[in-house]
Amino acid sequence: MASIITATTTSGLTQSADNSGVLQLASGTGNLVTVPSVTGTAMVSGNMPAFSAYMSASQSISSATWTKAQLNTEVFDTNSNFDPTTNYRFTPTVEGYYQINAGIYCSNLTDYDAQGSVAIYKNGSIYHRATLNFGGEGSKFNDFLTAVSGVIYLNGSSDYIELYGRITAVGTPQIVGGTTSDSFMNGCLIRRA
Amino acid sequence: MTLYEKIKQLYPSLTDKDFMTVITLQNDSDGKGDYIKSWEHPTLPRPTDEELA
Repeated sequence: MASIITATTTSGLTQSADNSGVLQLASGTGNLVTVPSVTGTAMVSGNMPAFSAYMSASQSISSATWTKAQLNTEVFDTNSNFDPTTNYRFTPTVEGYYQINAGIYCSNLTDYDAQGSVAIYKNGSIYHRATLNFGGEGSKFNDFLTAVSGVIYLNGSSDYIELYGRITAVGTPQIVGGTTSDSFMNGCLIRRA
Repeated sequence: MTLYEKIKQLYPSLTDKDFMTVITLQNDSDGKGDYIKSWEHPTLPRPTDEELA
């Protein structure tokens, strides 16, 4: 049962009420939206955390070493959940399922054999990753971008995510930064838990 | 010389695949530098700090 507010095609708004504590909205065609019973505020567009960050400068890394990308520049951070100064991590304060997208722009590759990886770390460990391999004569690339995305549950208190990159190549490879089209990470809440 | 290069010098038989699968090197960009996060090589022992110095 539920208390229902209906937009009809003949009488405008009508309502029926009971003591269930459940509220539903309906249109004349019978479509229903049930307003969820939650502790705190029911999520609507406008207070769902979203962020986007990138590196303001390139970062030299050691070959074959997973290295945290220093995402020190925010494009937006609607709920102030991203740390762009110390840990370069997203720690949302709203529990739920987050769509996360990330890319590592690998550069300064000086050999024919190179491998570039990107990983979204959750709580310090690899959660999602992607790798590109190039090898052999004729396959030399000076730079390329490898990207990964996924839907990740975050508990809204202690869970956090970070961006790591890994390049295996001769010399001193770089994770490229400078603009939003270089190394980046962004994401938003898509569903409450 | 990086940690990766020191390990390769110590164990020349290691391949790039080993560093992708059974050996994990990491740097948390916290100023502490590269370190061995995990070493699960089936035959080669984890290098000591002295060997990597």
